[in-house]
Amino acid sequence: MIELFEVTKRFGAETAVDGISLRVESGELCALVGTSGCGKSTTLRMINRLIEHDGGEIHLDGRPVREFDEQALRRRIGYAIQSTGLFPHWTVARNIGLVPRLLKWPATRVRARVEELMALLGLPLEQFADKYPHQLSGGQAQRVGVARALAADPDILLMDEPFGALDPITRESLQAELRDLQARLNKTIVFVTHDMDEALALADRLVVMRAGRIVQQGTPLSLLRDPADDFVASLLGGEDRGLKEAAITPVSERMQPLSPRLLPKARVHQSASLRQALSVMFREQADRLAVVDDEDMAVGELSLRRLVEGRRDE
Amino acid sequence: MRVSAHARAPGANRVVVALSVAALLALWGVAAIGVAPNRIVPGTPLKLAEVAGWYGALLGSLPLLALAALAWRPELARLKLALGLALALLMALPAGLALLGALALDPALPQARLGLGPAFWLLLFLLALVLIELRTRLWLGSLAGWGMVAAVALAWGATGWVLSSWLAPLALWQEYRVRSEAFGTAVLYHLLLVGGAVGASLVLGTAIALAMRRSRRLERAGFTLLNLVQTIPSLALFGLLLAPLAWLAANVGWLHALGVRGIGWAPAFLALLGYSLLPMVRNTFVALSGVEAGVLEAARGMGMSRAQVFWQVRLPLALPVVLEGIRITTVQAIGLAAVAALVGAGGLGTFIFQGLGQAAMDLVLLGALPILAMALAADALLGALSRRLSPQENRSHGGAG
Repeated sequence: MIELFEVTKRFGAETAVDGISLRVESGELCALVGTSGCGKSTTLRMINRLIEHDGGEIHLDGRPVREFDEQALRRRIGYAIQSTGLFPHWTVARNIGLVPRLLKWPATRVRARVEELMALLGLPLEQFADKYPHQLSGGQAQRVGVARALAADPDILLMDEPFGALDPITRESLQAELRDLQARLNKTIVFVTHDMDEALALADRLVVMRAGRIVQQGTPLSLLRDPADDFVASLLGGEDRGLKEAAITPVSERMQPLSPRLLPKARVHQSASLRQALSVMFREQADRLAVVDDEDMAVGELSLRRLVEGRRDE
Repeated sequence: MRVSAHARAPGANRVVVALSVAALLALWGVAAIGVAPNRIVPGTPLKLAEVAGWYGALLGSLPLLALAALAWRPELARLKLALGLALALLMALPAGLALLGALALDPALPQARLGLGPAFWLLLFLLALVLIELRTRLWLGSLAGWGMVAAVALAWGATGWVLSSWLAPLALWQEYRVRSEAFGTAVLYHLLLVGGAVGASLVLGTAIALAMRRSRRLERAGFTLLNLVQTIPSLALFGLLLAPLAWLAANVGWLHALGVRGIGWAPAFLALLGYSLLPMVRNTFVALSGVEAGVLEAARGMGMSRAQVFWQVRLPLALPVVLEGIRITTVQAIGLAAVAALVGAGGLGTFIFQGLGQAAMDLVLLGALPILAMALAADALLGALSRRLSPQENRSHGGAG
């Protein structure tokens, strides 16, 4: 659990972070969003003390971060950044094993852990272990960056726009992987991004910052439905907010039981988003869809009316 | 793209053809050797045809004609043959010289001296260019380059040993023979002076670069001062150091005991150190500052201590550029150390200035040629080391290996 109490950071005369309070529960993925220079990266770096805060307190599991030894603190917090920050003169395996080695794990345990992580992130050992970072694609390098952040099995993971430099397709697949990983590992993650779709897709809690202050925080759904002001509304996509909400709501939530009527030809998978369902309806010019499972068997149906008005029943 | 496509096309390799023709012109147009009855009298320059006769000169031109002919249709096999031929010619150069000497010198004059003419130097230079061109065309690695250098050196050494009596009248050899002991000392002194100055500037330069990284003001002041030192002519710098060092030697006992004087090794060493500091500090500073910020931030964020970040990340990543600085500094110091002979610091410069004083060009060469060889060797060795250590180079090797 990470708690921030009235945390302030000034750079000279400029106040970068202005008395923010925030609580990230264990196992929660908290995304900090906002325009550039809003203080989200500074906030992230104050947690592992890459930047020291001037006022207020930051607690890790109830203990102020200032009481920790600086290096010991960082070694128990995973850290992944945009350009990956991989050491170009070290092999992939050596990069991943960095923190375990800093923690003086025995060599055999480091090696076992590196193998485990490479398997976890889909990097075949014999193919990648001895490669250098410049021999990797952007997506592979980012995977190594995440593996390195996870190496010493930290409870907390800080990620500063980790997928920012990737092409959209690679980014989406890595986001999906992170979601799966998080479901299995249940880390406490603080994630900085300026990609709103990424934040909406990944976050349990969304924190919108502006000029060093928190404007609004809550679940992605609650922010989309009830933005605090015009800034939050436009940041979340303005009039596209409805589609963004549809994009993070699964079909299974609105699905109706099969009716005795003839099953429509147009179909959508039950794990698809409402946005995709809407797209299928638009494309197929249908106002009713069959909802199917992995075996392509109909498990329910979804009408346009139900899709649009479903919220009323919640 | 166009160049390599051109090379594969049946058109002639114009570079090698042009170089061969230039070598032929040199062989026929300018003096190959100079012959003097003794050291005092200026020598008579002699062209190849004047020594070996028309038939001999034609015979000597044949390999160069063959080289041009081979390069005219640059198929792989022919280019390989051309490479072998050029290498053989270069290796045989001293033997040819010995032959010319034997033909030109009157055995009745034991004091006679054989000088090296412009054709000799041109041939040496042009053949080296041919080898470089062919090495590139044939995609040979640096190992092949070193192999060729070694082969030439070996051939020349062997020729000198086997034909020592024929090459004995060589003026360069004569100058060496009468000072073989002084020559050894001079080479040693030269190397010591360069090694000491470069070593000291590495330690001092790294310290200065590190201090500069701490403070903006120090950075500006430091570079201003070092640039200023660089603009002082070397002779003036020796002059400036003379008085303070003489005073120190007279008043500080342990400095006197160390051999510090107004002239000698002390001003030479200090001047070399001063000149070496700028390239050393500049490269080290740029190298240390140039390490990617993201990498350093990640290193810190992972929980590396300051010392770990410096020794395990910053320094290894900066090393290729630091080595580049050592290379530049070393090559520069090897040349500058020659001037140090003027303040009595010894070294190979002694021969150069003696030779200039006595108008004995071969004595100048005795000093200049080893300096040239040293500079080239230092440049090649340190350059190769720097390339080896840079991650960029790992990339191309990593793919192949």
